[in-house]
Amino acid sequence: MTIPQILFYIFALVTCGGAIAVVVSQNVVRMAFWLIVSLGSLSGLFFMAHADFVAGAQLLIYVGGTLVLLVFGVMLTASGAQRQLKMSPADGFLAAGVGTVFLTIIMSTVISVDWDGVSKTLTGEVVSQKIPTGYNKGEEGNTIRRLGLGFLGIRADKDLGAPEDKKISTGYLLPFEIVSIHLLVVLIGASYLARAKRKVAPRTN
Amino acid sequence: MEGISLNSFLFVGAILFVSGIVCMATKRNLIGILMGVELVLNGANVNLVAFSRYSSIGIDAKFIALFVIVLAAAEAAVALAIALSFYNNHQTIDVDQADELQG
Amino acid sequence: MTTGEVLKTLLTIAWLLPLAGFAIEIFAGYWQKNRFSMAAAKMSVICIGMSFIFSLLALIQWGLATDWTALAATEHHGDHAAAVHHEEAGNHAKAHEPHGKEEHANTDHHEKTAHHDKDEHEEKHAVVPSTFSGRFYTLADFGKLKLSLDYYIDSLTLIMFTMVTLIATCIHIFAMGYMSDELTNDYVDHQAHKSDGSHVHRPGRYYQFFAFLSLFCFSMLGLVLAGNIFQVFVFWELVGICSYLLIGFYTERKTANVAANKAFIMNRVGDFGFLIGLMVIWTWFGTFSFTTSELNGHDIPGIFEMVRGNDGAISLTEDGNSMIFRDGEGHALKNEDGSNRTIPYTLLVVAGLGVFGGCIGKSAQFPLQTWLPDAMEGPTPVSALVHSATMVAAGVYLTGRFYPVFTPEVLLTIAYIGCITLFVAATIAVVATDIKRVLAYSTISQLGYMMLAIGISGWVAGLFHLITHAFFKSLMFLCSGSVIHGCHHEQEMPKMGGLLKKMPVTALTMLVGVIAISGLAIPFTIFGMKFAFSGYHSKDAIVATGLAYMRLNPSHIFLFFVPLVTAGITAFYMFRLWFYTFLGRPRDQEMHDHVHESPRIMTVPLLVLALFAAGCAIGGESGFLYKMLIHSEPAGVAEGVEAFAPAMLTLPSHHHIHAVHSEAGIYALIAAVTGMIIAYILYATPLVDPGEIKRQFSGLHHFLVEKWHFDTLYDAMFVKPMHIVASWCSAIDKKLFDSILHGFCAVAVKIARFDRQFDEKIVDGLVETLGDVTFSVGRSLKVLQTGKLRQYIMFIAASVVVLFILAFVLFPSI
Repeated sequence: MTIPQILFYIFALVTCGGAIAVVVSQNVVRMAFWLIVSLGSLSGLFFMAHADFVAGAQLLIYVGGTLVLLVFGVMLTASGAQRQLKMSPADGFLAAGVGTVFLTIIMSTVISVDWDGVSKTLTGEVVSQKIPTGYNKGEEGNTIRRLGLGFLGIRADKDLGAPEDKKISTGYLLPFEIVSIHLLVVLIGASYLARAKRKVAPRTN
Repeated sequence: MEGISLNSFLFVGAILFVSGIVCMATKRNLIGILMGVELVLNGANVNLVAFSRYSSIGIDAKFIALFVIVLAAAEAAVALAIALSFYNNHQTIDVDQADELQG
Repeated sequence: MTTGEVLKTLLTIAWLLPLAGFAIEIFAGYWQKNRFSMAAAKMSVICIGMSFIFSLLALIQWGLATDWTALAATEHHGDHAAAVHHEEAGNHAKAHEPHGKEEHANTDHHEKTAHHDKDEHEEKHAVVPSTFSGRFYTLADFGKLKLSLDYYIDSLTLIMFTMVTLIATCIHIFAMGYMSDELTNDYVDHQAHKSDGSHVHRPGRYYQFFAFLSLFCFSMLGLVLAGNIFQVFVFWELVGICSYLLIGFYTERKTANVAANKAFIMNRVGDFGFLIGLMVIWTWFGTFSFTTSELNGHDIPGIFEMVRGNDGAISLTEDGNSMIFRDGEGHALKNEDGSNRTIPYTLLVVAGLGVFGGCIGKSAQFPLQTWLPDAMEGPTPVSALVHSATMVAAGVYLTGRFYPVFTPEVLLTIAYIGCITLFVAATIAVVATDIKRVLAYSTISQLGYMMLAIGISGWVAGLFHLITHAFFKSLMFLCSGSVIHGCHHEQEMPKMGGLLKKMPVTALTMLVGVIAISGLAIPFTIFGMKFAFSGYHSKDAIVATGLAYMRLNPSHIFLFFVPLVTAGITAFYMFRLWFYTFLGRPRDQEMHDHVHESPRIMTVPLLVLALFAAGCAIGGESGFLYKMLIHSEPAGVAEGVEAFAPAMLTLPSHHHIHAVHSEAGIYALIAAVTGMIIAYILYATPLVDPGEIKRQFSGLHHFLVEKWHFDTLYDAMFVKPMHIVASWCSAIDKKLFDSILHGFCAVAVKIARFDRQFDEKIVDGLVETLGDVTFSVGRSLKVLQTGKLRQYIMFIAASVVVLFILAFVLFPSI
């Protein structure tokens, strides 16, 4: 068993365990903690899959941003009795049952697929041949430059060295810009929604 | 990187996904449901990154993974704002109390 | 500006002013809140008064432009020996008429040539064209047919304009006083009854009355000014509708409505003939214009030139069956193939008779005379206007204006129609007791005189009588209006009597009119001019023409004796009226006590009109009026016609008439004096009791009171059959068509019932069932809509699982 394999299994176990702990734990603060653990180790899995930029983004945005946001949400809402909301055992068993069946189905589906054949029928070409000199190979990680260029609309991995009439690939400039605008809108909308309002009388049950 | 199969990644993604679903289905806390959503999204992201690594889709899957992360952040911000608004209006975070849409 | 343009402008203003008055009055009166204002009347009087002034200016302008040659020329022939006069008049007519008609008011060139030619032809007078025609505006252009507004101005037009506007002005002023009881918001009409027997109360219609009067004057002036027969027809109808509105002014009274309808329908009968005449004229002449008009850049001759050429004679083809059209120079008009353009002689007669048919209706000639007495239902100023200057004058005017188209046969018809009319109407007038009806029948009778005169080629005599009659008849109507006003709307003469002292002005002015209409005057001379009341001169002229005609055509003896005898009858019934009303003892003492003289606003017009009634014909044949009229006489009248071919009629020339004038005058005077004396004996002295005579001749009296049974006859001939046919139609309608319709209705109801069942059971049932099903499904699905977020997620997850399982089970091979 090689070191990468060992690392992979460790990360996979922590990730899955964290996720299950999130499901199992009743305290919302603990759930937040287990979520951090789970997603953090997931970034480790991304590193293992040579997706260094995605893994970094996962750490920065998820663990450093989104989860901190969630923790703030927990802080702002979890007061006293609200911190622990028990679910009924019936719900739990039902959910567990459905979840198990769901997982089984997915697992069996994944196992039953011949991934190499599918990949070949999808593209019919070998990825590594198209990577020109000066760029790191995909297997070696370091995808930052390609991703950056892709976001600026340049697909060096596809267009460089390709015949003239095939240079039709497009990058992700437009989605990138749309996402930028989207984030701005979300920022404004979220602050509008969450702004302090006059309190109304609690709902009478 | 020999020895780690695509299926291993997909199993991790499946476990995350199902955990997220179960989390959403069971938690009465709205924040808990949001966490379930995050888990589901990450389960999907694991699959994307794995296919980027192992199949001929290549770097495009990573682009999508990045977009998913960014949109998840946006979704989290908005959902949290809604949660706070809900909390302000109902003095509780229990989603079982939010049954205004009952038929 | 040329003379023509000046005249055109002046007369156009005089013509349009009443229209402006009408428009303002009818609308402003409508807006007006109260009904006490006399503004409409003043407006109306100002308009018509201005019209009179403009007409007078036009008359003077015409005189100045022609250097008063009209007066000079005729004065000339009046003084000369008969033979010379004959020749002169002939030359005169020959020379100036065609040129005058050729002249276009808006072309200097024409005027100059006319001038030039005149100088060559006739060295005595620098003759200026005296007839002006032209076109205001082309309304429509259908191929060859041009409908246009033309004008035709000669001395007749001018005299008519001045006469109409003068009389209308007097009548307007009189009406201001007469209609003053309409100046109220609550006018009680004592002669109109509601179904419960109470009197009708209504707002006064003062402004409306004057608006209609203005429109009436406008129509009449338009008719006189018109330069083509179609335009005449348009204004003819306008006059008709105005008379309809005014006769039916008291629209709440049934009698007034009936009278208005009668007048209108009788006129329609005549206008049918008019339309036939128009059709013949259009088909064969190809133009409506009286005189030369311009079409597509070149002149085409008018109706008058086409019939009469330049010498006033009708030119027949050799076989005598057709008439050759000629232009103003006397040359025959050619067809495209070079042959002469002709019209069958019978069609020419038909055209003339048709147009005269219109005149019969309008001027209330036999057999369409019955509407005129009924038209007395209108207010008295209307009667005055209708009977003197406008409505009935239009018929005579048109007969005179259209004289050139009438062939001798048509003229003979006209003469006999006039002859019958004048006698019938005069006899009825003898027994009438309603003061206005006496005047109405006298109007018919006098119109008969005019028609007769025109028919026997006394063109000037007829129109002369038209003018003089207009003055004294309007005078007498206004006097009778004054009497009626003074007697509080009592019109029956047997209730009057002895009004002379109570109403001296009315009585004396009336006497002037009576003397004038009777032709009873001893002519004497002032300043070298014979002076007698106007009726003497005009009636004299007619009787003289009749005598001359009888001498030339011995078979037509009635055309002299009937008017002569009727002149006596006229004097009789007019003096009867006057004696009855103003002399003797009051027969209704109570009414007599309340009688009062009319206010000054009503007596002043009487005095003005009396002045004109007495003096308008001053000088007789050498007077101003006669000479002005003779200036417009159609070419060829003066020479007479010798034994014209188809009917072998001879029309007297001026020479013939002149020769018998003094003789005829004496006959006429004798007749009139006799009539007056009989009237005096019967009604002003106790010598003979008229009631005794009435009893002795009760059959005749009844016959006359029943107006020769004309109304009964028409009732039996037209109204009754019409009722019978109508009842038949009604029966067919009710029995046949109604039953068919009812059958259709029943079927439709059946179908509708079935349709309703179908609709309710099937269509509605289907829709309702669908709705019910949808509702119940929605109701059962409502349970699923729990509103619980977690359950929804659970549903989704479970559904996905189920979908997967289904996929595995159903497609196991993949």
